[in-house]
Amino acid sequence: MRTLILLAFLIMSGSTVLTLSAQTTGLEPGNKAPEIKLPTLKGDTIGLSSLKGKLVLIDFWGTWCSPCVEEQSELAKLYAKYKQLDYTNGKGFEIYGVSLDSKKPNWENFVTKNKINWIQVSDLKFWRSPVAKTYNIQGLPFNVLIDGRGIILAKNVHGADLEKEIERNRLNKK
Amino acid sequence: MNAKILVFLLFTAATSMFASCQISAQGQSDPWTAQQLLAPADLAKVLNDPKAPQPTVYCIGMDAIIKGSVDVGPAMMPENLNILKQKISKLPKNASIVVYCGCCPFSRCPNIRPAMNLLKDMQFTNYKLLNLPQNVKVDWMDKGYPMSE
Repeated sequence: MRTLILLAFLIMSGSTVLTLSAQTTGLEPGNKAPEIKLPTLKGDTIGLSSLKGKLVLIDFWGTWCSPCVEEQSELAKLYAKYKQLDYTNGKGFEIYGVSLDSKKPNWENFVTKNKINWIQVSDLKFWRSPVAKTYNIQGLPFNVLIDGRGIILAKNVHGADLEKEIERNRLNKK
Repeated sequence: MNAKILVFLLFTAATSMFASCQISAQGQSDPWTAQQLLAPADLAKVLNDPKAPQPTVYCIGMDAIIKGSVDVGPAMMPENLNILKQKISKLPKNASIVVYCGCCPFSRCPNIRPAMNLLKDMQFTNYKLLNLPQNVKVDWMDKGYPMSE
């Protein structure tokens, strides 16, 4: 009997540890993505945590980064295709674009001209932005895919690999 | 015999193709020499030493984040290149000048080549490109080198 109780205790403790580790804030898949709260072009602030319940791609980019700029048209296609669908831990797909620009007109003109219709935020601090440090960004483009609980599913996935990752998390595939 | 000649010709062609690839990869007509690349640690040491002769440091990229550097703006834009031209035209030809961008890896940076070409065309004799092969965050900020306010 004692052995059974001890075994049950160990299993319960183990599952608690696993749950806690999944909720640890960090930058690896399985970690909870660090919070970001930055202003939009209109000046209001949108927090990453406000997108809880959705599959979210955090896209770190800048108008001065040519591969990032090229990638925006691909993101537009993914956004249109996956925005309304359901996922394992999320309903709907959102993109949280974090610009590392330093000048607002450059950022604003690009977003307007290219009709970017997903969330755009920036503190206009270029590489000095605290998010570059928080997310340990070594270069652009860089992205992080998180589920509806804010847990990191993948990082720095682009092109076909990104779409595969989104598909992998889809529900009700036909 | 014919087979030997064929093998020899193929080998010669492959060797010359490899050599030409090497030359074009090295060259890519980068307008600087290895001696003109300034190590970040060396500049940081100078900037941290008030007694050392200070170079004039120009940011020809997005943001003058290095301590004491002069913000010119992205040199890929003709108006900014003109600003640089105006600033350096006041300096003697042997002035110690350092330029940096640091937005992206050198291979993708649109700003460093126009700036270095300008310095060369204006016949400056003591100018360097700050060696930030990845970007200014990784190669300068993350190393704790001096920053502007």
